[in-house]
Amino acid sequence: MKGSETPSTGRLSRRDFFKGLGTTALAAAASQAESVAQELQKINAEKILGPGPVPVILKVNGKTHKLELEPRVTLLDALRNHLGLTGPKEGCDRASCGACTVWLDGTAIYACQKLAIDTQGHDITTIEGLTPDGRMTPVQRAFVERDALQCGYCTPGFVMSVSALLRKNPRPTVEDVRHACAGNLCRCGTHPRILEAALVAAGLPPVSTTRTEVIHHV
Amino acid sequence: MKPFEFVTALSTESARELLGPKGQYLAGGNDLLGRLKDDITEAARLVNIKALPGLNRIEPGADHWRIGALVTIAQIEDHPEIRKVFPGLHQAAAEVGSQQIRNVATLGGNLAQHSRCWYYRHRDIQCLKKRGRICYAIEGDNRYHALFTGNVCISPVVSNLAIALTALDATAIVLRDGQERRMSMAELYELAWDNPTAHHSLRPGDLILRVEIPTQRRRSAYLQISEKHAFDWALVSCAAAANLENGRLRNVRVALGCISPVPHQVAAANQFLEGKPLDDDVLEHAADLLLAGAEPQTHNAYKIPMARALIRRTLRQLQA
Amino acid sequence: MSEWPAQPKVLGTRVPRVDGPAKVTGQARYSSDIQAPGLLIGMILRSPWPAARIQRINLEKARQMPGIKAAVAVQEGPRVVRYYGEELAAVAGVSRQACEDALRAIEVEAEPLPFVVREEDARKPDAPRVWEQAPNMPPPRVREEGNVDEALKECAAVIEGFYTTSVQLHHPMETHGGTVRWDDEGVTAWISTQGIFSVRDGLAGALRLDQSKVRAITEYMGGGFGSKFGPGVEGVLAARLAREAGAPVRLMLSRFEEALAVGNRPSSFQRIKLGAKADGTLHVFDYENYGTAGVGAGQATEGGGGGADLPMPYIYRVPNRRIKQTTVAINAGSSRAFRAPGHPVASFGMESAMDDLAVKLGMDPLELRIKNDPSEIRQREYRIGAERFGWKEKYRKPGSSPGPVKVGVGVASATWGGGGSSRTQGEIQINPDGTVEVRLGVQDIGTGTRTVAAVTAAEVLGLAPDQVTVKIGDTRYPPGPGSGGSVTAASVAPTVYDVCTRALEELQKQTGLPDVRGENWRAACKKLGVTPLVVQGRWREGLSSSGVGGVQFAEVAVDTETGLVTVRKIVVVQDCGLIVDPLTAESQVNGGVIMGIGLALYEERVMDWQSGVVLNPNFETYKLPGIADVPEIDIVLINMPERGVIGLGEPVHIPTAAAIANAVANALGVRVNSLPITPRKVLAALGKVPTAKA
Repeated sequence: MKGSETPSTGRLSRRDFFKGLGTTALAAAASQAESVAQELQKINAEKILGPGPVPVILKVNGKTHKLELEPRVTLLDALRNHLGLTGPKEGCDRASCGACTVWLDGTAIYACQKLAIDTQGHDITTIEGLTPDGRMTPVQRAFVERDALQCGYCTPGFVMSVSALLRKNPRPTVEDVRHACAGNLCRCGTHPRILEAALVAAGLPPVSTTRTEVIHHV
Repeated sequence: MKPFEFVTALSTESARELLGPKGQYLAGGNDLLGRLKDDITEAARLVNIKALPGLNRIEPGADHWRIGALVTIAQIEDHPEIRKVFPGLHQAAAEVGSQQIRNVATLGGNLAQHSRCWYYRHRDIQCLKKRGRICYAIEGDNRYHALFTGNVCISPVVSNLAIALTALDATAIVLRDGQERRMSMAELYELAWDNPTAHHSLRPGDLILRVEIPTQRRRSAYLQISEKHAFDWALVSCAAAANLENGRLRNVRVALGCISPVPHQVAAANQFLEGKPLDDDVLEHAADLLLAGAEPQTHNAYKIPMARALIRRTLRQLQA
Repeated sequence: MSEWPAQPKVLGTRVPRVDGPAKVTGQARYSSDIQAPGLLIGMILRSPWPAARIQRINLEKARQMPGIKAAVAVQEGPRVVRYYGEELAAVAGVSRQACEDALRAIEVEAEPLPFVVREEDARKPDAPRVWEQAPNMPPPRVREEGNVDEALKECAAVIEGFYTTSVQLHHPMETHGGTVRWDDEGVTAWISTQGIFSVRDGLAGALRLDQSKVRAITEYMGGGFGSKFGPGVEGVLAARLAREAGAPVRLMLSRFEEALAVGNRPSSFQRIKLGAKADGTLHVFDYENYGTAGVGAGQATEGGGGGADLPMPYIYRVPNRRIKQTTVAINAGSSRAFRAPGHPVASFGMESAMDDLAVKLGMDPLELRIKNDPSEIRQREYRIGAERFGWKEKYRKPGSSPGPVKVGVGVASATWGGGGSSRTQGEIQINPDGTVEVRLGVQDIGTGTRTVAAVTAAEVLGLAPDQVTVKIGDTRYPPGPGSGGSVTAASVAPTVYDVCTRALEELQKQTGLPDVRGENWRAACKKLGVTPLVVQGRWREGLSSSGVGGVQFAEVAVDTETGLVTVRKIVVVQDCGLIVDPLTAESQVNGGVIMGIGLALYEERVMDWQSGVVLNPNFETYKLPGIADVPEIDIVLINMPERGVIGLGEPVHIPTAAAIANAVANALGVRVNSLPITPRKVLAALGKVPTAKA
């Protein structure tokens, strides 16, 4: 593996670092592994990684994972295919549909257009991380109650975008919700209800773009 | 994507060195990763520049503000003072992509982004811009293409921020071979005017460090028209900046985007507008001057009336 | 004769989707989420040529690449490919990266052939032939009734118009494909599909296996809109790769591939002459249409329903008519059934012509329809909708709205069948602890099938919907129809009614209790002892029917300086028989309308005539309506329990684009006769676009 050379700058090679740390330390508890990630970040700075697989430490939903990944692996690929977190979906792989929306340090990003190796030292949150104890959040409950979903494929992405908005802006206007969700596509046409659900979850009146009346045929 | 090495640079010197002949700088990655996925760009190594010190600050100032190249579009959009001092820049930032894109996209990346021409961006088309034989857009579907060009490639500049910053008379500070160079927005893009393979004037290894925006013009505005109401590239964009004294324009600059490989500015139009009130016939004549010499292609002549409407509205917005 | 209860307790109430929690928490597993030990990724190599004679495909280098476990060619031996993106070969490997690298190592020897990708070029007699043995555009089929040429002379007003639509792509958010695994029992395929039995059948045939050895499972799928029937070339390739590799393979198409090879709605070029008597009675209809179904013209298309023919004169009866239609082949992916195949485009052509005729007659377009529409239900819907919309107050002579943002209104209608499949079967398992599981071999394409079943079961058994577990999407369950034609609700509800009614009888018989529903349920079930009760049933007559109407009104604002069209409001009046769950029914309406807005204003597959490629194989330049493009949608659902369950997924998509096109014409006083109505076309229609260079 490429990483074991000592570069001309005289910094420690990763192997030297690991020798110093002791390989058993890498199997240690999450908090220790976190500081390992930070150390790796500092040591890895200016260290040329890849193109073959290299150790990548990802902190996802509060848990730290050590993976072996090529630099070209996207965060979405790492989450779905290396960590088995299938909540974020692949819709386009080109940062244009939002099905892969996750949080990077609490802000919404497209996981498909971010390299996994480029997220070390940051906190990733996926849809699974919103409900660590299995209980739905107010946003999720509102989505279910207002039927802001149909096939459900775009739903995790929208939930992440709406939830990120409400963290930043607990009392959004209709325009704020549209602005936050413009980067999420839905083919089933859930948009009017997503708008409702976002407002309801914020404790605001559900200014809806849909009204229905059921007329009973006599 | 093809395999590549990844390295995080800690200084601009080592970033330049690590880049080598086959490297690419990686900031937000929205543009670069898309190009790598479609084999439009080759990169044996990505040099992560997000850890470079001092490039992610927004620094207000009395005469001018400095915005670091690593500042994200979301940070620009959300900055309450920028909204007051440079409303045109705020509006341009708010229209960039989507929230998810703005959260990671950087000022530098937005300025340095490559053409969005659908022939250029197609994995199976080797167009002139990719050193192929011909510009496919000329005889093909050119609905999104330029009205002005100094070369055979008719792909236009699409950076929202470039247009807003042109109107604000901003300067980009670019690090080239260890030296800082000051480039106006016009200079930042001028190479693309007559070089079909260029997207801007940056050479391999060049690094945008920051943008300096004079506070001279207290009013600015930016508008664009897209086919969709949000999350869509502009068909035409327009930015204007000026001072208003007794209802008359001073130090006015107007720029148009998406109609030329460079931000489209016409000195005669700026001169004409100097000292004028924002009357209908003034606005019409300004539009005449700005669009004089436009050479529409088979499918993009609609950009002319669209640009005229935008010019009128953007200038009017300065009064708001 | 069976009947729904006169005073239902659950049916017709607003019940949240029973699979809502699974979807909003990310727990729902789609075909690309299935985990399996040793899972490999599959990827397809596609033709970069729009037409080529493939001489040889060399997979050897690809097979040797690190991490690659299988490589297959779609077909051995020389063959001709006929569109950019047609499948050539596939590989399976341990990662996406391994597959991407392996695809690059496949060597293809090919001789490019002449091609044609624009309808207007393909029609020419000297155009390259897409299929050697047939002209690209066969002579039209002609249907005639009455005497068109005479009738034209008898009219007080005749209009002639040319109305066109572009090829529309389904673009479900979940792409095509799935995960396939071989084991001792045969093949299990988790394919994203609208028809699990069509997958089973297709795979068994392609792999030469007994059908009993193939199992298709689709618990959740991310939309299909007509394009997902059968295993697809991708499903068969996944199975072949899995067999060669001795490991399960997940092969999902990329968004890029979705634009090339998995179906589309044909384009249309409709020339219409429509004439009426002075009082507005339609008298003559002279019609010519051609459109493209890609390479599928004249060939069997997957899933059927994909030809370019349109049901004309749509909802109207015209005594003198001549209808000529043909389909023109181009080197592009074959069409497939797309949400109400033929109808949205037929509605657009016909309803545009109707509005143009109304203008010529000096008549209110709504009055012209009321005069000529034979459907009783739509007559009701016109009245209800007109009042709800405020048609009388809003309708103004075309172009008379003051600018620069001009407002206009339009109306259009739909007709659809729906109805349930009598071949549907189902079963229920009642456990001694009172828990209930209903099992159906159908799928939920986003319409809320599970909820329809749960609501029906709850109604019959006297339980709450969340006390009923519904299992669907497995060919081991009793069979049901594929989800197309808006038949699922009308198939499922009567079947579940039958299953549960029989179950009640059985349970009552076995326990000796006269009424086991509601509060008596638990005690009754306990009497089953240790053994659960499984009861089977089938679709029952009298609980569903077919045939719906539907009317939509649109209000738009058009910026005459920039050409931008904004839909302000859509009013929908829709009948669908008995409404099982108004909450999910409304969502279907929203979905159909929003998809109609896409057809009207944004969506168009663009081909490059020079290279033969699809120029917009992504969401950046193939534009789907986003949240900022969605207007106020005002829905009136007419509940008609006496008609039973019918279904509404498709009818609500039919008239939207037509109503919007009419509203734009009303706003401007001039018509943009081509979909999508983009700013470019609006400015051109207004005469504001200078003549471009030749």
